[in-house]
Amino acid sequence: MSDIEALYPFLYSGSSDLDAVMTSVRQSTVEKVDEIVTLRRTVLERDGDRIAACAAAMAKAFAAGARLFAFGNGGSSTDAQDVATLFMNPGGTARPLPAFALTADIAVVTALANDIGFEVVFARQLAASAFAGDIALGLSTSGNSRNLIAAFEEAERRGMLTVGLAGYGGGQMAELGTIDHLFVVPSASVHRIQEAQTTVYHALWELTQQALAKAGDNDDG
Amino acid sequence: MDQAVLARVPEVFARRVGPALGLADEADVVARACHAMATRFHGGGRLIVFGNGEAATDAQHISVEFVHPVIVGKRALPSFSLTSDVATITGVAATAGLEEVFAHQLRRLAAPQDIALGVSSDGGCVNVLRGLETAHRLGLLTLALTGGDDGGPIGRSPAVDHVLIARSADPRVVKEVHVTTYHILWELVHVFCEQPGVLDPRVVP
Repeated sequence: MSDIEALYPFLYSGSSDLDAVMTSVRQSTVEKVDEIVTLRRTVLERDGDRIAACAAAMAKAFAAGARLFAFGNGGSSTDAQDVATLFMNPGGTARPLPAFALTADIAVVTALANDIGFEVVFARQLAASAFAGDIALGLSTSGNSRNLIAAFEEAERRGMLTVGLAGYGGGQMAELGTIDHLFVVPSASVHRIQEAQTTVYHALWELTQQALAKAGDNDDG
Repeated sequence: MDQAVLARVPEVFARRVGPALGLADEADVVARACHAMATRFHGGGRLIVFGNGEAATDAQHISVEFVHPVIVGKRALPSFSLTSDVATITGVAATAGLEEVFAHQLRRLAAPQDIALGVSSDGGCVNVLRGLETAHRLGLLTLALTGGDDGGPIGRSPAVDHVLIARSADPRVVKEVHVTTYHILWELVHVFCEQPGVLDPRVVP
């Protein structure tokens, strides 16, 4: 039985009554909302203090001149680009900070993938552009993407501050043991993992801004 | 560690709860939107997505969600994002203006049976509104993911068939509700697609 069959068993009993389908999908939305609210509460309980510590470390790195490099595949590549534009152009009174998504330059990505292999598309860009003290932030739902593992290994060699977002049990990103700040969203749903990861990087951004503003106040004082 | 930063964490998470739960109140709007989208896909339509800034990344996320499903065995559905073509976007912006970019792309790329989905965290993006108005004139089904109290000018536009509003003044919280919303849209569109008997375009709930 497929996942969808398990969730909507009556659909496969021959009924095609629209009202019944509408009732079922309305209930499905309510259930998914409950799932993500519960999952975010779990993330806060497990990792709230570590999110604050990571933001403090990121603020310290930015204050010392760091740039942030974000990377991921598929849906996570859009999160990487979201992270980059959030830091770069946050709007309002927030402080713009230097950030770049390694998926943004399709010429570089396709050149590396075509000439060497897809596993090096992020690592090679870090080797070319990143300095010690810069920030590497990689997102994956499985934690097993080979190009992320290669990128975190390169970031470690270069002395970057490393931040990882994963799901399930953390996969190979957890096994690496070298990621300075690793946040594993404990869910088996790719969708709920991505939704909670979005909250984690929004929290990291907001708390980094707060830490930098506070440091600025202290400098002025 | 800075104790003020540490103390802020629970508030940051608490700010998400109300708007996330608010999506459950929109369950009927979500269901109607999914039925309409599935009907368009059933008739050969494609999903065209657009937005600015952070919402541009949502547009790309939505299109990859439909084209390459994360659940094995789900059918790929045709979709593309207007935000990935940097050459055309900057080209149109430099000549006709940024307000025209999505409308320009839709006039050339869209077919009447397609679906236009605009994402705007405050509902005030002029180019997203013009894109949706153009799509509506061309006969596309139009949907918007917006935020704020009433969805802004996009939420109030008669050109938009289905409006989903994330009720928060914080654009990051709005985005998070949008991510859950489009994941649900994707999953529930498939529920309808697997029941072609309910996809008669004359049946509008």
